[in-house]
Amino acid sequence: MPSLTLLGQALVSGLLAGGIYGLLALGLSLSWGLLRLVNLAHFALALLGAYLTYQLGATFHMPPWLAALAIVPAFFGLGVALHAVFTYFRVTEFTSLLVTFGITVIIESVIQWVWTADYRRYETAWATASLRVGPLFVPTLELLACLTAAVLALATWAWLRFTYVGKALRASAEDPAIAAAFGVNHRAQGFLLSGVSAAYAGIAGAFIALIATLAPSQIWAWIGVVFAVVIIGGLANPIGALLGGLLVGVSESVTMAVAAPAWAPLVSFSLLILILILRPGRV
Amino acid sequence: MSAAGRRPLLGLLVAGLGFAALAVAGLPAFYESFLYLIFSWIALATSWSFLSGYAGYFSFGHGAFFGAGMYTTAALTTMLGVPFLATLPLAGVLAAALGAGIGAVVFRVKRLRGELFGLLTLAVGFVLATIVLNTRIDGGPGVYLSAVPLPRLLASPTGTLYLLGLALAVVTVGAAWVIVHSRLGLGLYAIHDDEDVAELEGVPTLSYKLIAFALSAGVAGVAGGIHAMYVSYVTVGETFSITVPLYVVLMSVLGGARHWLGPAVGATIIASSLYVFTGGQQAVLGRALVALVLILVILLLPEGIVPALLARWRRWRPRPAVALAGPAAAPVVATAPAATLACEDVWRAFGGIQALRGVSLAVAPGEIVGLVGPNGSGKTTLINVISGYYAPDRGRVTLGTETLTERPAHQVARLGVGRTHQIPRPFAHLTVLDNVAVAATFGAGGATPAQARAEARDWLAFTGLDRRATALPHALNLHERKFLELARALAGRPRVILLDEVLSGLNPAEIASAIRLIQQIRARGVAILFVEHLIRAVLELSDRVVVLNEGEVIAAGSPQEAMRAERVVEVYLGKAHVA
Amino acid sequence: MLLDVRGLAIAYGDAPAVWDATLAVGAGEVVSVIGPNGAGKSTLVNTIAGLQRARAGALRFDGADLGAVPAHLVCRQGIALVPEGRRLFTRMSVEENLEMGCYRGEARRARADSLARVYALFPILRERRRQLAGSLSGGQQQMVAIGRALMARPRLLLLDEPSLGLAPTVVDQMFEIIRAIHAEGVAILLVEQNVVRALDIAARAYVLEEGRVVADGPPATLRQQSRIREAYLGLRDGDIHP
Repeated sequence: MPSLTLLGQALVSGLLAGGIYGLLALGLSLSWGLLRLVNLAHFALALLGAYLTYQLGATFHMPPWLAALAIVPAFFGLGVALHAVFTYFRVTEFTSLLVTFGITVIIESVIQWVWTADYRRYETAWATASLRVGPLFVPTLELLACLTAAVLALATWAWLRFTYVGKALRASAEDPAIAAAFGVNHRAQGFLLSGVSAAYAGIAGAFIALIATLAPSQIWAWIGVVFAVVIIGGLANPIGALLGGLLVGVSESVTMAVAAPAWAPLVSFSLLILILILRPGRV
Repeated sequence: MSAAGRRPLLGLLVAGLGFAALAVAGLPAFYESFLYLIFSWIALATSWSFLSGYAGYFSFGHGAFFGAGMYTTAALTTMLGVPFLATLPLAGVLAAALGAGIGAVVFRVKRLRGELFGLLTLAVGFVLATIVLNTRIDGGPGVYLSAVPLPRLLASPTGTLYLLGLALAVVTVGAAWVIVHSRLGLGLYAIHDDEDVAELEGVPTLSYKLIAFALSAGVAGVAGGIHAMYVSYVTVGETFSITVPLYVVLMSVLGGARHWLGPAVGATIIASSLYVFTGGQQAVLGRALVALVLILVILLLPEGIVPALLARWRRWRPRPAVALAGPAAAPVVATAPAATLACEDVWRAFGGIQALRGVSLAVAPGEIVGLVGPNGSGKTTLINVISGYYAPDRGRVTLGTETLTERPAHQVARLGVGRTHQIPRPFAHLTVLDNVAVAATFGAGGATPAQARAEARDWLAFTGLDRRATALPHALNLHERKFLELARALAGRPRVILLDEVLSGLNPAEIASAIRLIQQIRARGVAILFVEHLIRAVLELSDRVVVLNEGEVIAAGSPQEAMRAERVVEVYLGKAHVA
Repeated sequence: MLLDVRGLAIAYGDAPAVWDATLAVGAGEVVSVIGPNGAGKSTLVNTIAGLQRARAGALRFDGADLGAVPAHLVCRQGIALVPEGRRLFTRMSVEENLEMGCYRGEARRARADSLARVYALFPILRERRRQLAGSLSGGQQQMVAIGRALMARPRLLLLDEPSLGLAPTVVDQMFEIIRAIHAEGVAILLVEQNVVRALDIAARAYVLEEGRVVADGPPATLRQQSRIREAYLGLRDGDIHP
C-alpha cells in the first residue's frame, strides 16, 4: 500500500491531468452535443496545435501565449471549413465518424511527415517549475493548464446559459425546426460552433506542447480517454466535461500508484464501456 | 439453387486451386509473401462485412479479434508448446466467443447502434490491448515465435503460410457468398435497413446479429493466428494498432460492404497499392493516401466500387424482364388455422401519460374491425402492443390459444400477426420483390429463400405491383409503397392483419382499389383490425367499429351504432352548446 | 388581408397533403380551420410558419411573398407559431423558453415588457419560471407555448390544436386567454379538431377535408351545413341529433 504522500501526489497529478482531459473534452462535447456530429479529428487538431506551438517557439522564439493568439483564430477557420464540407455533403452523425477518422489519419501523417516520429519536447524555463504545497509538488504549467480548463469550462457554461446565442444553440440542438420558427439560423450556428470547438482544440494543443512530450502516435492514446470523459460528463455539458476529466484523471493516477502504470488506460476505457451500456436514455 | 446460380462459388474454387497450383509450381518468396498479405486482408475485410457491411453495425474493433487470435497462437505455441496448426481453430473459437460475449451484452441495448457501437468496439480493442500488455500473455517485451516449428506444406516456410492464407480467404469469401444467398443474409440486410421493422416481420434480430458477429470475429481470430507465425515477433503495439480496424473499414467500404465480393476487391486494391509504399516516410504518405481515399469514397461513392460497376454493367446489358406469369387470384394465405385476436384489459403508460386504459376488444377470423378515435387516443399504441413492439403494463393479447404478450416481436410475427405502418417503412436497399420475400421467409409461412421469392411474386401480382418487382422502394409512389406494405404484411401468412392508416394520402380511385383488396383479404379468412381516419371508408368496410378516446374504449358495435353514440359525437364535435 | 393564401399545394416527398388551399386572415381577425384528422390542417399551418415549403401556390403576408423567405426569417415578418403538441424546449427552463420567443431583434428589445405581460396572462408561469419546461403539466406547457409565441410580438398568431390532450376545464381557460389575446389586436389563425369551440371563437372558419377546403364562411352558416358532420362522422344529415 503506497504511502499517504504518494497517494496525495497521485491525487494532485490526477487532478492536473484531468484538467487537460477536460480541456480536450470541452470542444468535443460541444460539437457532438449541439451539432450532432462526431468529430474524431478533434484530437488530431489539438496535437497539430501542439506541434505548431512548439515550432513557432523553436523557430521564431514566440512565447506560447503569442503562438496561441495566432493559432486559435486559424483553427477557428479550420473548424468552419470542416463544417462547410459536412454541410455540402450532407454528412450524417454516423458518416461524420468515418470521415473524421480519415481526417485524423491524414493529419497524423502530415505531422509525421513534417516533424518525423521522433519525440519532441518544448523546452521552456518554467517546465520544471513547481509549487510546494506541504509534502506535495504541484507543477506550475500543469496547474495553469488545469486553471485554464476550469475558466474555459465556466465561461462556456455561462455562454450557453446566459447569452442569447447560447440559448439559441441549446434550443436548436433539441428542436431545430421550431428554433428556426423563432428566428434561429441553424446553419450559421453550425459554423460558429464548429469554429469554436476547433479553437478550443487549439488552446488545448498549446498546453499539450508545454506539458507533454510530443509524438504523432499520441492522438490514438487520447481518443479513448477523452471520449470516455465526454460521455461521462454528458454531451454539451461544459462543467460535466471538466468534472468528468477530473474523475478520469484521478482514477487513472490512483490506479497507477496502486497497481502498475500500464493499467491506467484500462480505467478510462472500462468506464467508457460501462457508461455506454448502463446509462439510461440518449447519451 | 440451380447450377448456374452456383457459378460464382465454382469460380472461386477454381481461382483458389489456381493460386495453390502456382505456389506448388514454385513462386519466388517475395510473391508468396505479397500474395499472402493480400489473402490475409481479403479474409479480414470480408469477415468484417458479415456484421458491419450486411447489417450495418460498423465495428471499429475488428483489430481486437485479430489480436486475440494472434496472441492465442503466440501464447499457446510458446508457453504450452501446442502445435501451430492446432492453435488456429482455437484462435478462431476464442475470438468468436469474445465476439459473441460482447454481442450478447451490447446488442440488447437498443440505443447502442450506429456511432455508439463503433465507439464501443473501438474501446474494446484498447481494453484488450491493455490486458494483454499487462499480463503474462505478453507482459511488455513481445513474444517471439521464431522457435516454433512450422509444418512444411511446401518447400519454403512462406509457402505454408501462403497456402493457409489462401485457404482462409477462399473459405471466407465462399462463406460470404453462402450467407448472402441464405436466410441469414436476407435477415441481416433487413436489419441494416430497418431493424425494428425486420423484427416485426419475424427476423430474429438478436440471434442473427450474434451469429454474424461471432463468425466475423472467428475468421479474424484465425487470420491473426496465421499472421503470428508470419511476423514471428508479436508485440502489443503492432498487433493492436489502428491499422487493422482502419483498413478493413476502408477496404470493405471501397469495394462495397454489402456485396459478397466487394471487400475482397477493395482489399486487393488497397493492399497492392500499399505495397508500393514501403518503409520510412513513404509509409506515412501511404497511410495518408488511404485515409484520403476513405473520405472520398464515403462522400462520393457510398455504395462502393463493386455495386457501382455492377450498376453500370446492368445499364449496358439490361437483363430480360422476369416473366411474372402468376395467377391473378390470391395465393393461399393462412397455413395455420384461423384464430381470433383478443386484447384483454390492456394497459400501457409512457412516462406520466396513460396511453391505454384497460382496452379489451376481439377480432374474429374474416371480420373487419375498424379502430377509430381522435388524435392521441392510443390507436397506434394498441397496434404496437399487439404486434409485440411494446409490452403492456397489464393485461394480455391472445391469438387463438397462443398468448402473444411476453414474446419478442419476431415470434409474434411468426405466430401470424402482420401489420402495416402509417408511413410506409420499406427496406430501402432491397428490391420490391425482396422486401416481400423477407416477410415470406420469416413470417408464419417460413419459406426457403427460393420459395419465398416465388411466393413474393404471387403477392406482388395480387397487389398489382408485379411490374415493379425489381425496382427499389424509393422509385415507387406513395400508393405503390402502401401496397408494398400490404403485400409484405400478407406474405407473412398472417392470421390477423393490423392496418395502420393504410388509406391516408391516397386519391379516391386508389382508395377504392385498396378497399377492394382488403375485402378480398377478408374473404380469405384473415382477421383484420384497421385504424383509419377516413370515416367514410371505415363505415364502408367495417363489420364492427371500436372507438377509442384517451386510451379507453368508449363505444363498440356496428358502424352506425358506434358513430351515433352520444359520447362519440361529443368527443369528435365537442359538447353541444346550450343554445 | 394580412395573410393571403391562394391555391397552396403541399406535399411530403411525393405524398400530397394539401391540394389547392385558399384562405385569408384579416388584421385583428380570428379565423378557424377545422376538419378531421389527417385533413392537412397542421401541414398548412406549418407551411405558413415557414417550417415547410409549398409545392405550388401563393403565400403572402402583408403583401410580402413568404414563399421566398428562409425559415428562420419568417418570424421577423410578424408571424408566431404555437405548434401542435407544444414542442417546447424541454431541457430549458420556462423563462428560457419564453426568451427564445423574442430571439429576433425587435422583440428582444421589448423583452422585459413582453415577459411582464405574459406573466400577467399566466401567473402560474411566473411561479415556475426556473422549472424545466419538460416537467410541467400539459396545460401549463400549453401556456408556455402560447407565451413563447406572444414574446415574439406577432401580428399573426398561429395556434395548432391548442386543446389537444387537455382536460375540458383547462381548455376553457385556454380559450379565454385566446380571447384576451385577440382583444389586444393580434390576428389569430386557429386550427382545431374541436368544432364547437373553434366556431364559437371565430369570425370566419374554413373546413379542410383530405387536403382541400370544402366549405368556408361565418360560423352560423357552417353550423347549419351537413358537411361538417359528414366530414367528422361520415353520417348524412339527419342521422344524428346532437
